[in-house]
Amino acid sequence: MIKPVVKNPGHKLLRSSAYACQYMTHHSPVHRLAAGWKIAVCALLSALAVGVRTPLELLALVAVSLLYYFAARLTPFDLWRDTRFFVFQALIVISLYCLHSGLSKGFWPGIRTSVQVILFYIPGAVLLRTTSTGDMMRGLRQVVPYRLSFLVFVSIRFVPFFFRELEEIMTAQRLRGARLLPRQLLDPRNWGDLFHCLLLPLMVRALKTAEDVSLSAEAREFGRREQRTYFDMPLRTVQAATSPENQCLVTPSVLQPCCNTDLRNRKD
Amino acid sequence: MMHTNERMFLWRQFTLREGILLGFCATFIILARAGLRLHLHLPGHVMFFTMFFFLLARGCVPKIGSATLVGLIVSLASFLLGMGTKGPIVFVKFLLPALLVDVAGYVFPAFVNSVIACVLVGAVSAAARAFSDTWIEWLSGMEGEIIMQKTIITASLFAFYAGLSAVAVPSIIRRLRRNGLIDHGADEER
Repeated sequence: MIKPVVKNPGHKLLRSSAYACQYMTHHSPVHRLAAGWKIAVCALLSALAVGVRTPLELLALVAVSLLYYFAARLTPFDLWRDTRFFVFQALIVISLYCLHSGLSKGFWPGIRTSVQVILFYIPGAVLLRTTSTGDMMRGLRQVVPYRLSFLVFVSIRFVPFFFRELEEIMTAQRLRGARLLPRQLLDPRNWGDLFHCLLLPLMVRALKTAEDVSLSAEAREFGRREQRTYFDMPLRTVQAATSPENQCLVTPSVLQPCCNTDLRNRKD
Repeated sequence: MMHTNERMFLWRQFTLREGILLGFCATFIILARAGLRLHLHLPGHVMFFTMFFFLLARGCVPKIGSATLVGLIVSLASFLLGMGTKGPIVFVKFLLPALLVDVAGYVFPAFVNSVIACVLVGAVSAAARAFSDTWIEWLSGMEGEIIMQKTIITASLFAFYAGLSAVAVPSIIRRLRRNGLIDHGADEER
């Protein structure tokens, strides 16, 4: 068996995520916790973060929060990614405290409140990093009405589509002389091109696509009834096929129509 | 454009086409947050695109709740995609300015036609977002004066970027209307 070549394992250990709060696949006790428990832990730690006052309490809470964070097998680099947004805020807060009460009196309260604010957000970051989109979507379906969740999933589903559209429009407009390079967009005088050569065509594309998608969904009678309904026949077929005695009958072709169609269950 | 015989899909207010269009506005905000950042390394510049698409959504679908729906979709999508650096607070971050845009639309339905009104609404709504963190700081025991000073700094930056992007909204709405892509009467629907 050929072993994969790992280049610089220490690098992988430190730089494991591309952006803040990115979901990370690890085998950890926190990952194995149910989403409900993670939300409960998140609420508890966040509530404690706003409640602590003394240095000892704060230290204990920092230790617990870090323990919870690293129990999810996240790295110090991930922690920096998740909290660096607050460093700017912390600098403002500490400076304002020092200006307001003097360096000796203002430094500790500034540090304390800044750390409290960071501690408030760390459990939320752990929740996002350890709960997959699929798990969140399953949870969302139970809470959010299906019409709204449909719109949420459509907006997520079309992110790659519009990203491609954006690139195509940008290339075409650059060829026409529009000043859309990142370097050129730093100059506010070029922002007119950004709006009229990029965002306006993108909006026109969005209007056309919305029309096509809605027509397609309405042709399948989507949204006709209050409750989400499915094609009756394939559902029965799948239920019969997935019963223990008929396990061998389950094939992708049987499952496909039920998963991909939004046709109504017409009884009339 | 409103088509005849279109069924209401959501909240007895929006058709499926309008809902999907507003969902696409949310997609653009997500795209802007993810990849279309200006890399200015200045806090608050995310509001540049966020407020632009909130105002544009209100202009394209001139109904009460259109900006709020975009805010709701973008906050749910951001939460699902793990893009909210502040966890569940992301809902307040997006819903608060969106609600203010809708309130402005209710009071002054044709505000998207005016540059000054757009800039005012955009700046005020974006500045309101700075208050979403205030309650956490207040609960953490931060002094009122410090909270106020910090909020003013953040709100000014948010308002500045939102005001800049809001300048372009009326002209884009006008061009879309001229080409018959969206409804003409902004004040006919409340």
